[in-house]
Amino acid sequence: MDTDDTALHAWFDGELPPGEAAAVEARLRENPELAAQVRLWRADRDALRARCDAMLLEPAPARLAQVVWQAPARRRAALWAAGFALFVLGGATGAALLAGLDAPGRALQAGSGEWPQRAAVAHAVYVPEKRHPVEVSVEQNQDGHLARWLTKRLDVPVKLFDLNPQGFDLVGGRLLPDARGPSAQLMYENAAGQRVTVYLRKPDTGPADAASAAFRYERQGELGLFYWVEGQGAGATGYALVGSLPREQLLVLAEAIYRQGAITARP
Amino acid sequence: MHAPAAFRQQLLAAIPRLRRYARSLVFDAGTADDLVQTALERALTHWHQFDQRRDILVWLVSIAHNAHIDERRRHARMSLVEPADGEVPPHSHLERWGSDPGADVGLRIDLVAALQSLPVEQREALLLVGVEQFSYAECADALAIPLGTVMSRVSRGRVALRERLDGRAPGSSAGAPTLRRVI
Repeated sequence: MDTDDTALHAWFDGELPPGEAAAVEARLRENPELAAQVRLWRADRDALRARCDAMLLEPAPARLAQVVWQAPARRRAALWAAGFALFVLGGATGAALLAGLDAPGRALQAGSGEWPQRAAVAHAVYVPEKRHPVEVSVEQNQDGHLARWLTKRLDVPVKLFDLNPQGFDLVGGRLLPDARGPSAQLMYENAAGQRVTVYLRKPDTGPADAASAAFRYERQGELGLFYWVEGQGAGATGYALVGSLPREQLLVLAEAIYRQGAITARP
Repeated sequence: MHAPAAFRQQLLAAIPRLRRYARSLVFDAGTADDLVQTALERALTHWHQFDQRRDILVWLVSIAHNAHIDERRRHARMSLVEPADGEVPPHSHLERWGSDPGADVGLRIDLVAALQSLPVEQREALLLVGVEQFSYAECADALAIPLGTVMSRVSRGRVALRERLDGRAPGSSAGAPTLRRVI
């Protein structure tokens, strides 16, 4: 490999200082064959990225998260928070939810809680994205295309929740693979640039499980999660709200989504 | 003293990308996850050694890289088959190496098979720079190799991948097809 080749590869990887990069670019302009080669490299790299990005969304085995959290964590806080959530939601909804509440702290680690885990991972993957946080942005959402598309693919009613009163604007949404079919992620952002995501999917189990739906809260370090299953039978929908926000703030958002979701579930 | 929750959260967030890196080393998903688990356990044991100014993924990759080398040494007497010498593993492995129902099947096998036929050192460096978007310096740091070695592995890997996708054997310009396009 000669010096020219080394410079070309370094340029391709964005490793050259501006002056040297300009020299390589000049060479590319004069040499169409070389330019064609670089285009192929770029196509290969894009194809690799597309293939490898799909891998990020494959659910990780629960044992890996368990390894990370194996030392005693503070479960008491999670229990208390769930109780607080029920208190605030109050009344009829609280009573309905209370029926199914069981040890929320364990839920994420147990088998039943694997999909909220995927919601947390999807949140962790896409929230830091600067250029491609969503697949369909709110600007592209003409005539309610986003909600229609996701509703069709998920086979559950997807509504673009309005979190404006809570200070969060919709960024957009994306379709994601889940263990048993598609799921969707909606992303919201506030003026401070903080992002929360709403993860929606068709629940794993049948009507029997939907009937025992509970509103659960989990905290993993900075990340808070509220998740619940709503509706029964074919229209049942699993929701997870994920964000690095104080519990109280996340709860306000969860409550707003819960209210709007309940309207959608009964058309 | 146990690792703080904030550190555990960083580990948790890094799991998807760490798994992806592990699968550039070993193709079997279960074995790759074993490697990830080992790396996470070592990271938790040595959490106080992590410098928060560093990118945690670079640190975790260096741990996983070393764990993989340890593992290979331990199994050196068993004939561990690495698809590093141009041998294409069976399709069951190809399919498991990332399943994307939306992708074109022919193209997928072509690309993944070509990648798998690269020597592991080239594949690892090419993916860290091309996919994880590590800088050469980060890549050198993670793999504990000189910068010049990173550059030569990345460039050789890139050229070799293209040659294989063109249906040419590595290094040959004659054009004897080793991989057939299935699309």
